Amino acid sequence: MSAAPARNVVELIGITKTFPGLVANDAINLELRAGEVHALLGENGAGKSTLMNILTGIYQPDAGEIILNGAKVRFTSPMQAIAAGIGMVHQHFKLIKAFTVAENIHLGWNETPRRVNAGELERRTTALAERFGLEVRPGARIEDLSAGEQQRVEILRVLSRGARVLILDEPTAVLTPTEATALARAVREFTASGYAVIFISHKLDEVLEIADRITVLRAGRKVATLPAVECTHARLATLMVGREIILPHSREEDAVHRPGSVVLQLSGVSTFNDQGVPALNEIDLDVRAGEIVGIAGVAGNGQRELTEVLTGIRLPTAGEVRVRGKSMNGASPAEFLQAGIGHVPEDRLRSGLAPSMAVADNAVLREYRKPPIARGPLFIPSAVRKLARRIVDDARVIVPNMRAPVRNLSGGNQQRLVARREMRVAETALVAAYPTRGLDVGAIDSMLRYLIEIRDRGVAVLLVSEELEELLSIADRVAVMFQGRIMGTFAARHAEAEQIGLLMGGHAGAMPTEVAA
Amino acid sequence: MIELITGVLATALLAGGVLVLGALGEVLSQRVGVFNLGLEGLMALGGVSAIITVAHVPNAPLGMLAAIIVGLFAGAIFSGAVVLARANQTLCGLALTIAGSGLASSIGQSYSGQPAKAIFNTVSVPYLSDLPIVGRAIFSQSPLIYVIWIALPVALHWLLFKTRHGINLRAVGENPAAADAAGVPVTLIRFCYVTIGAGFAGAAGGYLTLAFVPSWSDGITGGRGWIAVALVIFAGYRPYSATLGAFLFGLITALGFVGQARNWIIPPAFLSMLPYVVTIACMIIPVIISRRLQRRLAAPAALGVPYFRDQR
Amino acid sequence: MFRFHRVESIKPWTIIATRVISVVAALALGALLFAAAGYDVPRLAGDVMRGSFDNMFALEDLGLLVSPLILTGLAAAVTLRIGLWNIGGEGQFYAGAIAATVIGLEIHADPALMLVVLGAGGFLGGALWILIPALARAYLAVDEIITTLLLNFVAILFVNYLSTGPLRDPGQAVTSATARIPYDIPTLVGDLHWGLGVAVALAIVIALILAYSRWGYEVRLAGANRFAAHYAGIPVPRRLLQTMLLSGGIAGLAGMLEVTGTVHRLQGGISNNFGYLGVMVAVLAGGQPIGVLPAAVLMGIILNGGIVLQSYGVSIYQVLALTGLILLFIAVGEQLAYYRIPHMAQRPTR
Repeated sequence: MSAAPARNVVELIGITKTFPGLVANDAINLELRAGEVHALLGENGAGKSTLMNILTGIYQPDAGEIILNGAKVRFTSPMQAIAAGIGMVHQHFKLIKAFTVAENIHLGWNETPRRVNAGELERRTTALAERFGLEVRPGARIEDLSAGEQQRVEILRVLSRGARVLILDEPTAVLTPTEATALARAVREFTASGYAVIFISHKLDEVLEIADRITVLRAGRKVATLPAVECTHARLATLMVGREIILPHSREEDAVHRPGSVVLQLSGVSTFNDQGVPALNEIDLDVRAGEIVGIAGVAGNGQRELTEVLTGIRLPTAGEVRVRGKSMNGASPAEFLQAGIGHVPEDRLRSGLAPSMAVADNAVLREYRKPPIARGPLFIPSAVRKLARRIVDDARVIVPNMRAPVRNLSGGNQQRLVARREMRVAETALVAAYPTRGLDVGAIDSMLRYLIEIRDRGVAVLLVSEELEELLSIADRVAVMFQGRIMGTFAARHAEAEQIGLLMGGHAGAMPTEVAA
Repeated sequence: MIELITGVLATALLAGGVLVLGALGEVLSQRVGVFNLGLEGLMALGGVSAIITVAHVPNAPLGMLAAIIVGLFAGAIFSGAVVLARANQTLCGLALTIAGSGLASSIGQSYSGQPAKAIFNTVSVPYLSDLPIVGRAIFSQSPLIYVIWIALPVALHWLLFKTRHGINLRAVGENPAAADAAGVPVTLIRFCYVTIGAGFAGAAGGYLTLAFVPSWSDGITGGRGWIAVALVIFAGYRPYSATLGAFLFGLITALGFVGQARNWIIPPAFLSMLPYVVTIACMIIPVIISRRLQRRLAAPAALGVPYFRDQR
Repeated sequence: MFRFHRVESIKPWTIIATRVISVVAALALGALLFAAAGYDVPRLAGDVMRGSFDNMFALEDLGLLVSPLILTGLAAAVTLRIGLWNIGGEGQFYAGAIAATVIGLEIHADPALMLVVLGAGGFLGGALWILIPALARAYLAVDEIITTLLLNFVAILFVNYLSTGPLRDPGQAVTSATARIPYDIPTLVGDLHWGLGVAVALAIVIALILAYSRWGYEVRLAGANRFAAHYAGIPVPRRLLQTMLLSGGIAGLAGMLEVTGTVHRLQGGISNNFGYLGVMVAVLAGGQPIGVLPAAVLMGIILNGGIVLQSYGVSIYQVLALTGLILLFIAVGEQLAYYRIPHMAQRPTR
């Protein structure tokens, strides 16, 4: 931008960090200039978070050094990094949910008065918020805040500790498009007043939009650092993945593809989340045999609860769920399973798998009640191994040993295992929540092909995703969720990302709520 | 009747003191995220240390100091296991209970059944002790009573909710990763407060053998450590509520004594069962009545979960 | 800088090896402490081994300790399989003993039939004793550790009340106990009764049920991940309840066998801490029913040591302290087993 190159605020030289069985960072060099937005781009597992955890003192590098304003530094704890003016806003917010905003702002801070009371802390918080131009509600408890508000609290906390280097880790993942735009504006203001920002992302578009320079990581190594003006979408994609990205499209087949009758039907369904707060508000939704209905929306707007009432894990407090016209009110997960509903859950290690049990035991989790695994009350291990082998082979899961605990598999392999297992039982419908989350690009591709494959077999598919591009490319219809409501449903081929984005932020009335499918 | 009320009240304060100390120690431990199921063993160790100390030097405060030091020492071992080595908290707590009770009984064998050589004497507060009922129930007790029932709960409440350090401390129990990222020394805080909490439990044992009973015998702790743990749970991890709960249990214990003394029709064995049965009822009934209440009194979110910074 | 790496998972044999090392280390530390207290440790150890294995009588005595330990260990192990703790084995043991005593003293019928009735009674007594903690755990998520444990105190008070009050045998001048129960478990050899056979058989049966039945798979799955079990369509609360009742029943059966096979009358203190030691046995066994067998033998030898060494001034309390130490070492060892010195760590595999 300017003629003379700005001075380097931070230099990382030859940073290396290994974990058992994995080289997370391999001799990485990075220079951060004053007043720039420096994007760190890479797939999941490319080593972005590890590198930043080293810069912020959470991890210690095995080799390499950190130069801060020309002087070599060593951070053995996050406290030292904070004191040196490096602040990070983590992807998963490091906030205490049961605390108020004010308490979170003052947590672990040596400028907090030794004796505190709620009023005083809230007053101080208000003052800080005004100083940095970030609007927060000091007295509110974090668990009652939206993701966007929580992010502002995080940023405010980092800035109030005098950070000159701000690291944002996948900051837009939890934001509506409108909120993301506001964040981009705020980031611009920070750099204008001399801060340096490291912006971690795996989304090409936003990186191109916001960054001055872009460093691409792949498999723990630095591939390149480029000025954003010299980059194109395609070039970055190739650098990041090592090949070109093509999402599978199903539009071409539309001519011959005709959805059948309604098999999943929600009418007026409401329910609460685990905290006892209303999470679904009179949802009406139909899914037909042989169609993919996408659910768009920022995570945490009722998607989890929606998938749970559709699979019997959570009971609706009002309204009715019907499967092939039959009311499923009060039905257990076992009954939904019998009705042919498969479910790829949001958090596979929490609810889809038993991490400490063998791969084989996990593979048969949905079919152990049926012969040949069940013979009367008996459970036949040889049949278990046979079926597990089949599922594992179909899913192309790499398994060292069927007796190994499933937690030893990589995330992608676990996800494929769950998806295949669920597709086998999904005779009527498959409810898939974020099935591509955490997968690398190649795996995303095959996961989406799975979904198209079973749709073409006449199965109804409900696909929940936060990747709009993904939804628009494979769904037949897209419904947008906001605060437990369906804001509108569109035929995917007519939908525009921008309109959907508005609805994701709760801006209803921007358009007709239903376009004929 | 007045006599009865006075007696019950006085005994309740005396008996409940053990539970206050134990429960406050457990509040500290659980607020930083560690379930200490070893209270029973710590109390036994504290109790026997106090008795042995006063047998050699007949000075009750010194005996109490010994109980606290032994509690801290055993607590540091427990803390080392669960905080530093991140061992299973349930297992280590049981180990501490079994090993502590066993060790206490083996070193206390020759002191068993003898009255303590020095005890905390009662002091009558001038004028106040002449008041009806409360005069004898409250103002003719050992000064220790005021420390236990007033000073410590107030101090702990102040520490937890009115200081900067208290915010950091509670954060460690709620979300150690977040506290760590904010620069709070998680491991240090956990280690210290679990150890200090164990010191409280040691003090509870010293109080038991130097003020309440006052003598040593096998199994003298009689499940009070467990009741104290339960008390913390249904007091919602709050010092004042835990103190109030301890008073209610003091009352129940006192009723048992009165019943025995006055030859009520209920067999004494059943009166002795009362504290245990009531504890179980107190753990179950609030949940039946209201799930919402349960949520308001929610445990620290990271309670029982070891913290690994380098976890991947 | 020298740092340890934590590995994600370790092999089954490492777990077993760690457990053995932990026990040996705890025993070694215990021996050191005994030596420091002035005991002649090698001689003590020799006496314990002779007292346990030297002759038929010694083996019979050991067997009489091992049988209830297998059962109480099994009781704690089945709850561990579903991720729960039953620390109330002591109370359920007494409840089973009470049930068997009352039935045995009140009902007079064919002895063979009565043994079955007594067994069922003991089982039901133990199951009944855990019923409230089990219901509270399964349907209200009330912590079961404290509720099961507190009922131990109630059971002990109740047994003392019965044996000194309503059920006291007036013929007994010295000790407070009930009259002799008129039914005996047949003996296997010498003093050793068939309770040992029942205990071993039950351990094998439970191991088979867990590995080869749908119910067993469901219990294992619910123990490994309760959310995943719910997702798989398993009625988790019902399985929690069933497992806890089974656990209580097994501990109750141990009490019944002790009272009808070994002690022959109900009195205070008959449990010998079998309930608490059962938890240790289960932990030593890693929650595996078959592992309970060797673990119970080890615990039996340690417990027997306390009895054999009484003449040296060693008491049950030292033995308890030692078992506590073993438990602590196992708990710590279990975690330390996950740490590796960096250069020993596996090479990158991805």
